[in-house]
Amino acid sequence: MYLNYLANVGRYIPELLLVVLMIGIIILETTYAEDEKNKKYVFILTCVGLVATFASLVANMSGKAEAIFSNSMIIDPFSTVMKMVMVLGTLGAVYLSTISKDIYESLKTEFIIMAIGVLIGGMILASANNMLMLYLGIETLSIISYVMASLKKNDERSSEAGLKYALFGGVSSGIMLFGMSHMFGVLGTIQFSGMAANIAKLDHTQMLIMMPSFVLFFAGIGYKIAAVPFHMWSPDVYEGSPTPVTTFFAIVPKLAGISALIRVTMIFFLTPSALRVGWVGLMMIMAALTMTVGNVTAIGQKSVKRMLAYSSISHAGIMIAGLVMINDIGVRAVVFYGITYLFMTLVAFYVTSIVQDKYGNDHFERFQGLIYRYPFMGIVMSVVMFSLTGLPPLAGFVAKFNILNALINSKYYSLAIILALNSVISAFYYLKIVRLMTLKTQESNEEIEGFGFLNQVIIIVMTAPVLILGIFWDSIMGLAEGAKIFIK
Amino acid sequence: MINLGSYLAISFALFVCGILVMIARKNIIAMLLGIELILNASALNFAAYTKFTNNNLDGHIVSLFIIVIAAAEAAVGLGIVIRFFQLRESIHIDDAATLQN
Repeated sequence: MYLNYLANVGRYIPELLLVVLMIGIIILETTYAEDEKNKKYVFILTCVGLVATFASLVANMSGKAEAIFSNSMIIDPFSTVMKMVMVLGTLGAVYLSTISKDIYESLKTEFIIMAIGVLIGGMILASANNMLMLYLGIETLSIISYVMASLKKNDERSSEAGLKYALFGGVSSGIMLFGMSHMFGVLGTIQFSGMAANIAKLDHTQMLIMMPSFVLFFAGIGYKIAAVPFHMWSPDVYEGSPTPVTTFFAIVPKLAGISALIRVTMIFFLTPSALRVGWVGLMMIMAALTMTVGNVTAIGQKSVKRMLAYSSISHAGIMIAGLVMINDIGVRAVVFYGITYLFMTLVAFYVTSIVQDKYGNDHFERFQGLIYRYPFMGIVMSVVMFSLTGLPPLAGFVAKFNILNALINSKYYSLAIILALNSVISAFYYLKIVRLMTLKTQESNEEIEGFGFLNQVIIIVMTAPVLILGIFWDSIMGLAEGAKIFIK
Repeated sequence: MINLGSYLAISFALFVCGILVMIARKNIIAMLLGIELILNASALNFAAYTKFTNNNLDGHIVSLFIIVIAAAEAAVGLGIVIRFFQLRESIHIDDAATLQN
């Protein structure tokens, strides 16, 4: 029994590496924190650790799906791909935190430690195979996120963001747990596979208990991915948190929530049942609302960071829309969407963060004439904005196209039309930035220090996948195809 | 006669109380207490279902984990409330409204 855990140690090396890395950084920070020079070593160590984690995840890709820890976690290609995306997102946010002025110099190591903690939670969530691990994953993710949101501890807005996040988060995870407890009571076990098998045997009364329980359960996951109507915390938290934290929140917790939603949907609702009809209906309403509310509210924003927060809400809606048909084509499209979303979000937040550091705020006017002063950055930002809108031949177009394809394949025409209309609405505010950067002249001649050569190189490297995935997307779709969930 | 139904009724009452506290009270400490009520309602449910219907230990283990996590969440929540109080000198939820536009 005990030896079983050691026998498949090869499958959870990525998680082990991250835990060791986190402990190592805590020891480094507490022992050698006085010397300013040591901060650099912490950063280098983090990069090495995250790259090593990524490499071990790549090595895990080839293995077949395997349940570890008495079936409580499952390591399969799907969870491995989602973990890879999350590790890359963390790496991006960690680099941004070292160049950003939005986090106090003395707190940068703490940001790194907590980011790794949230990443571990996200990885547990991505491979959760029973209710307990799902809950533990969500809570590891959330509790550390509350602290991250209030990282700027002398700033009223940051504390307020953390407070709101903690209150909303506590209630919604409690609500989710209440739903879970009734699911456990009726279905008799906390293992996903056992629960899914028992769904078919429910009688009428049990079905009546299960319906509201699943709604409560969905509320908890919907909160984590900021689906409307559980999105109220998201713009406030995104705006109040320091920019690197916002970048991190837009990627890691959101994708972890999406992967949990994918797993739950694909395990419980593969076979037709009354619950499946309800769940699909719930997801359709949620997807349509999330896309529309996110996009429409984004139009009126003055702050680019808040605008990006609303746009990330609408992207979550599009990803939920890719799940309503509950088949492999949809899941593949969502995984691909997640990969492109990672790069587009990172670039958009990097440019916004640097502009905000130079000018002191992130209002739209600060982007005026950016392209004349920093041609590369202007071009890169325009490319990303076009890609977020979904114009060919960029990655955002392919990602949206795949989801539309999956929707039309399964005859969900109404949702497909809503998605297409939403792309049009989103063009309004994404292209507003492009218009400000190219057509307006800058508002003052005041000289600001530049982006820095290294930062520009990194931003351009991160934009490359947006261009490459738009044209050569078959190969990465092959990867996403390997990531289909293998549950039998 | 105490049966499963009584436990479920109590836990449902706790859950509703928790939600009502979250909606009605403006004091942030009281709201944290509301979260505890909701979490305890579900812990009670897990334990009750294990005792009366399911013949496995899953529910007991989950309720133990819930207690641990509730403590962690309360610690972080109170830490943030203390920071908020030091900056605003208030623990009224209506004072946390600078971020809305």
